[in-house]
Amino acid sequence: MSKLTFERPIIQRINAGLPSKYGMPRRLDPISHIDGTSIKSLLDEFGSPLFVISEQTIRKTYKEAHRAFSSRYPNVQFSWSYKTNYLNAVCNVFHQEGAWAEVVSGFEYQKAIENGVPGELIIFNGPDKSTDDLRLAIENNSLIHIDHFDELYELIHLSKEMGERPKVAIRVNMDTGFYPLWDRFGFNFENGEAWDALNRVMASKTLDLLGLHTHIGTYILSTDGYRIAAEKLASLAVKLEKKYGHVLKYIDLGGGFASKNTLRGAYYPGTDTAPSFDDFAEAITSALMSSEIKPDHLPMLILETGRAMIDEAGFLAGSVLATKRLADGRRATIIDVGVNILFTSFWYDHDIRPVEAVSDQSEDTTIYGPLCMNIDVIRGNIMFPLLKKGDHFVIRRVGAYNMTQWMQFITLRPNVIMLDSKGKPHLIRKKESLETINSLENTPEHLKNFEL
Amino acid sequence: MLKIKSTIAISDSGFVFDAGTGDSFSLNNTGLEIVRLIKEGKDFPEIIQKVSEKYEVDEESFERYYYDFVATLNQLNLIEKDGED
Ligand SMILES: Cc1ncc(COP(=O)(O)O)c(C=O)c1O
Repeated sequence: MSKLTFERPIIQRINAGLPSKYGMPRRLDPISHIDGTSIKSLLDEFGSPLFVISEQTIRKTYKEAHRAFSSRYPNVQFSWSYKTNYLNAVCNVFHQEGAWAEVVSGFEYQKAIENGVPGELIIFNGPDKSTDDLRLAIENNSLIHIDHFDELYELIHLSKEMGERPKVAIRVNMDTGFYPLWDRFGFNFENGEAWDALNRVMASKTLDLLGLHTHIGTYILSTDGYRIAAEKLASLAVKLEKKYGHVLKYIDLGGGFASKNTLRGAYYPGTDTAPSFDDFAEAITSALMSSEIKPDHLPMLILETGRAMIDEAGFLAGSVLATKRLADGRRATIIDVGVNILFTSFWYDHDIRPVEAVSDQSEDTTIYGPLCMNIDVIRGNIMFPLLKKGDHFVIRRVGAYNMTQWMQFITLRPNVIMLDSKGKPHLIRKKESLETINSLENTPEHLKNFEL
Repeated sequence: MLKIKSTIAISDSGFVFDAGTGDSFSLNNTGLEIVRLIKEGKDFPEIIQKVSEKYEVDEESFERYYYDFVATLNQLNLIEKDGED
């Protein structure tokens, strides 16, 4: 007689069907494939952990966002926010879809140029542009978004020195009812500083004022903030036309749309709370269309959407290292992904799933990374199935900011692959090795040898 | 020796009710069998023998599952405290 297969013994508390603080317990369905490709086979081929980016999802998301705006407004342009994910393959998918580049440092600027983005289609934001960066941006006819008066005066000097007419916009910060106010970037609307800066630009005669820019914050759940921002920028455009007869080429509303991730500790999941691209588009475009800007002078609408554009396309797969019990008896699962490569676990309750089908039973679990540090928590208090050493998991919606803010700490950064539209994997960033790190170091001659 | 608390009733379907606290729990099949063996006063070597007669499971895995399971019973207050070794 053949023996029965043994299922791990389990006991679970019955909660009389009452929703807990975290809502009704939900079954975590395994995710075994991404775009038809088995995650297990990818881990076997490329190692664990592994970032997986779905090209198909990027294109689909981009098209969705673009349709939401272009079906409501005559002239829409997206500009890919490099800081959100500047792996070249990712940037180029966006550029193929038609996005310009939005950069905030000399490094990002060079990356966009090397990717082949024409200089005049690069938006240069941020407070950190060196004199050399500015010179290069002026020569390339890039769109320089002025952040502060020091930069404004430097540009005026450079324009005279170089005999060029830099293309500029003013970054405006404002009260949109959304807190905290991002008033450290750009010029304030309410106190009149933005208007002063615009007058200064117009008076200079050597700067070519093309647009107005704002970026009101990030992971914004309120569409109303965008309506207010669009109205305020439109009012500045109207004032400029009245006073100088100057018609702006564009209004840039920056990024900030919430992705479908769930903020840490939020009661409802992000999939329920994040407004759609249509919701944001409706708020912004109706504010512009109903402003006092003359219909034939409606400026191009630029968007620098970052996280909402790429989060969904990124996955992080890995393996369970161990399970143990905490002092209070709760379950702890230790995985080979830490906060060093999943920076966003500080903000989000990431959606983490088993890759292989496991038992229906789940337990209150804390999921830890492998770093020897207390802060290395990927998920606290999640009802999670019991995985064992060597089992695989996948974390969803990790496309934004992780592959730019990751740290090389204790371990090395892993391979990143992109699945093309047919689900075929391409290695787009090689995992680091000891050599990668050591090649940057130099040990002085007198420290090369020792005896122990 | 391990002792399940005397206030606890266990049904054939694996439903567990603690009359002392009013808490209820559910066991899967293997969990139910093991709890019954513990109730009968069997110790670990006897339990592992019983289980491996019936199921396909290697000793090391079973040992890990077993002690983890007992730790859960403990955490859920289903084990007599003074009944422990
Ligand atoms: C100027 C600017 N544009 C766009 C973005 C992208 O923002 P998000 O990822 O919230 O869409 C940022 C992010 O901080 C930014 O600073």
